[in-house]
Amino acid sequence: MEDYKYLFKVVLIGNAGVGKTCLVRRFTQGLFPPGQGATIGVDFMIKTVEIGGDKVKLQVWDTAGQERFRSITQSYYHSADALVLVYDITSRESFNSLPGWVKEVEQYASRKIISVLVGNKLDLHTEREITVEEGNSCAESHNMRFLETSAKDADNVDRLFLDIAVELTNNVRNVEIKNGPIEEEIRDHGSVQGCCR
Amino acid sequence: MAAATSFNFDTANLQNLTEMKDIQEAYDLLCKEESKIAEEIDDLLDHQTNLESKMSSLYRSVPNLQVVSSDAKQLGSMVSFTSDLAENVSGKVRQLDLAKGRVQDAIQRVNDVLDLKFCTDGVQTALQSEDYEKAAGHIHRYLSLDEKVLKQITPDSKEGGSVDVALHVLQDAKLNLTKIVREKFDIALQTADRASVERFFKIFPLLGLHDEGLEKFSKYLKSQIADRCQEQLAQAATLDPADRRAAVVYADTLTILFEDVGKVVEIHQPLVETYYGPGRLLQLIQWLQAECDKQASKIVDDFIKHREFNVKSRQVQAFLHRGGGRSSTTHERLDPRDLDVMLAECTLLNSRTEMYLRFIRNRVMNDLESVDEDDKTRGNKTADLEKLLRECLLSRRIQELIGNYIVMEEYFMRESVTKAESMDSLEQGSHTSSMVDDIFFILKKCTKRAISSGSVDCACALLNHTTTILEGDYQEKLYSKLRAGFPSGSFDVAQAYSMLQQGRFPTSSSDTNAAKLEFMTTLNNIEVSLEYIQSLKRSLTEECAALLSQNKDVGKDKLESCLNDLGAVTHKFKDVLDVSTFYVNLIADNKFNGMQMVQYGLSQLSTSAIKPRLKPWVENFLSVNHNITEDEFSMYEANDPFVQNFIMNLEQLLAEFKDFMTASNYDALVSLVTNEVTTQLEQTVLRSVFNRLGGLHFDKELRSLVTYLTSVTQWTIRDKFARLTQMATILNLERVAEILDYWGQNSGPLTWRLTPTEVRQVLSLRVDFRSEDIKRLKL
Repeated sequence: MEDYKYLFKVVLIGNAGVGKTCLVRRFTQGLFPPGQGATIGVDFMIKTVEIGGDKVKLQVWDTAGQERFRSITQSYYHSADALVLVYDITSRESFNSLPGWVKEVEQYASRKIISVLVGNKLDLHTEREITVEEGNSCAESHNMRFLETSAKDADNVDRLFLDIAVELTNNVRNVEIKNGPIEEEIRDHGSVQGCCR
Repeated sequence: MAAATSFNFDTANLQNLTEMKDIQEAYDLLCKEESKIAEEIDDLLDHQTNLESKMSSLYRSVPNLQVVSSDAKQLGSMVSFTSDLAENVSGKVRQLDLAKGRVQDAIQRVNDVLDLKFCTDGVQTALQSEDYEKAAGHIHRYLSLDEKVLKQITPDSKEGGSVDVALHVLQDAKLNLTKIVREKFDIALQTADRASVERFFKIFPLLGLHDEGLEKFSKYLKSQIADRCQEQLAQAATLDPADRRAAVVYADTLTILFEDVGKVVEIHQPLVETYYGPGRLLQLIQWLQAECDKQASKIVDDFIKHREFNVKSRQVQAFLHRGGGRSSTTHERLDPRDLDVMLAECTLLNSRTEMYLRFIRNRVMNDLESVDEDDKTRGNKTADLEKLLRECLLSRRIQELIGNYIVMEEYFMRESVTKAESMDSLEQGSHTSSMVDDIFFILKKCTKRAISSGSVDCACALLNHTTTILEGDYQEKLYSKLRAGFPSGSFDVAQAYSMLQQGRFPTSSSDTNAAKLEFMTTLNNIEVSLEYIQSLKRSLTEECAALLSQNKDVGKDKLESCLNDLGAVTHKFKDVLDVSTFYVNLIADNKFNGMQMVQYGLSQLSTSAIKPRLKPWVENFLSVNHNITEDEFSMYEANDPFVQNFIMNLEQLLAEFKDFMTASNYDALVSLVTNEVTTQLEQTVLRSVFNRLGGLHFDKELRSLVTYLTSVTQWTIRDKFARLTQMATILNLERVAEILDYWGQNSGPLTWRLTPTEVRQVLSLRVDFRSEDIKRLKL
């Protein structure tokens, strides 16, 4: 009936105007729609990709960056398999907000979540305010992976989502293997595996 | 020809050929050319006859061609003659048409001039008699005339000519009338003279001042909306708190505002359409919405102030930021019940707003569609409308409200659930404890309320929180109770209840009876919860039906995804099982489902409460001799020495549990008991000896047992007895070789569960079978 083997939820967060919606559109529809209005609440797109011969369905939840939608956004953290935290490399302000976002993630998300820090708007690198090194060290200090992207030029966008899909798929496969004949290894009660069905 | 082109040997260069090699080469080339030309000549000669016959046929057709040529010339001249004629005729028609057009134009101009005269006269008298409609009608007629053309065609169009004068008069009259209408309209606005407002409103489009008229008119409508809303707000402030509607007075006030705007649109849209033309509603709405925003914002402000919305919201936020704040005293903790009424009003505010915005959208879209415009203009206008609805102050204020509402609703839900857990109690005769019903009631209530807000995002958020609570705290609570295990020893229900009657569940493990009862209750709770999750999902899906039908595409997908996540909680119970080594070690196969958690609990029960008690009862089988005479056999038949007693014991054992378990948990327990009985009985039988009559008696005993167990459960248990039944069949044989009638090819529908070795072993239990015969069997 449903044409996929695994389903993963990816949630994009970050300040308003850093380009979350554009990243999602670029990835799911291959478009860069300029003059996009602010997202209201949460938007939702689906893209099915193939990872090592298996169809993997990515549910991408594109959240509103504005403060008044925060409580809606937060309700999605818990069930997310991956979080993409986005800032704008031409905006110091969006970068300075990152610690606040990280704190929120720690409060609401499940512990085994994969999180990626993304510096978007690489096409505007001449107006850059945040260096690659700054981004990298911020990601390292919060144990996140790091990537700079351009939704406009489609730079690194597919890579961002595909890397996530691969990692999540591998995680589930490893668990499936473990659940085979050997059962000792799963001692950690905290690491609930709940992404595949 | 071919020879000429291919022969490219340059004769001029002949002199230059001094080397022998070059001469040789040139010679070869010439030879090649020669043979080629010879070939071509041969070829032509071969075709000579053919060519000659073609030539002669050509000669023959020459006279025919001459005839054709003269015919064609004749035809050509005829065609050109006809064409000239036609050109001639149509030219005249064109001239005629042109003349007709000019005559018409002339008549038109004459009419225009007449009209101009009429208008000039009319507008002055009309103005004098203050008949503004009539004057505006004349001006409208004048505006539809093409002034330049009029001036060109009339001979006295010089300065001071009569037409020029008339035009000047009209021009002045227009300015004059515009001034008057503006003044009168403003006066009418100030005195709220409805009739005058509507009168002058109709005049503006006649003067070509559509936008101005609409703007002035909307000002009038805005002031009306504002007045009424202020009135309502004042009333709301003084409303008796005991009034039936007091709890939702702000939602009511907002509703009245929306209804007013709706009414204004409803009443005046036809007016605007008649006098200003279709497609102008968006403009009107844009102006009206500004007022609606202002008033709605006031209502929201009042709501926030009088309901202490922000105070409560901050309290909740502060509580959440302390990370659940277990240390905080009940004093500073907000009682969830204080939020209940306000939360309901909050969702009502949102649902009214959604309804209003939908109304506006439908109205404007219909109006836009009624105008014949190209797709791009319409697309732009639609985008303008969406932007207005999305970004108007009303939307923003309500979104803020809902944002805070979600946080508070989550708090309300969590706190209520915690309370239900802490007040958990078990009533006599009930299988589950109060917490299960209570918690699911709370979850349903809160999520239903969120859905009633009419906001998809709000509904999804609470669906997510419900899922999170079920997967997290609630599940953990149930598991932690199961992990404690079932205390061993016999189970005295009466004592357990007497404990419970004194209060809640005992926490000290010293009281094993109560702990046992709690264990079974937990099992039941889990089983019922699995069921409740599905029914919660079903009933919430029903609640969402209206939302689903209003929202297409993304909204629908979001809701469905969140609902599915809720439904999948039952699977996630499984995932917790996955990581709990506790379970993994105990359950053999890896295909867990929700029920298997119950199975695990039951197997715990079995180990500590059932196995030890079954053992002596089954052992009794050994004390009954199965190597018997006819007399003994009849005696057994009359007065059974084993199985009746055994069944009675089982009955007592099961009865202990039956009343405390849900039907399906009880069935699962019977199934476990049956497994235990068959395993132990099998071992015991293998330690006895039988003769033919003993075997027959064993067969009877087995049948009674199967009949009894079948009668107490919905599940089939015959299958569990397959091995024992086959053992009975073997013990019932006349002679050893008879087994071959049932074995191998002769087994028919029977599937043997016993291995050949086991068959031999059972055969050897018969004292009257010779071991050589058994050994000789080929199985």
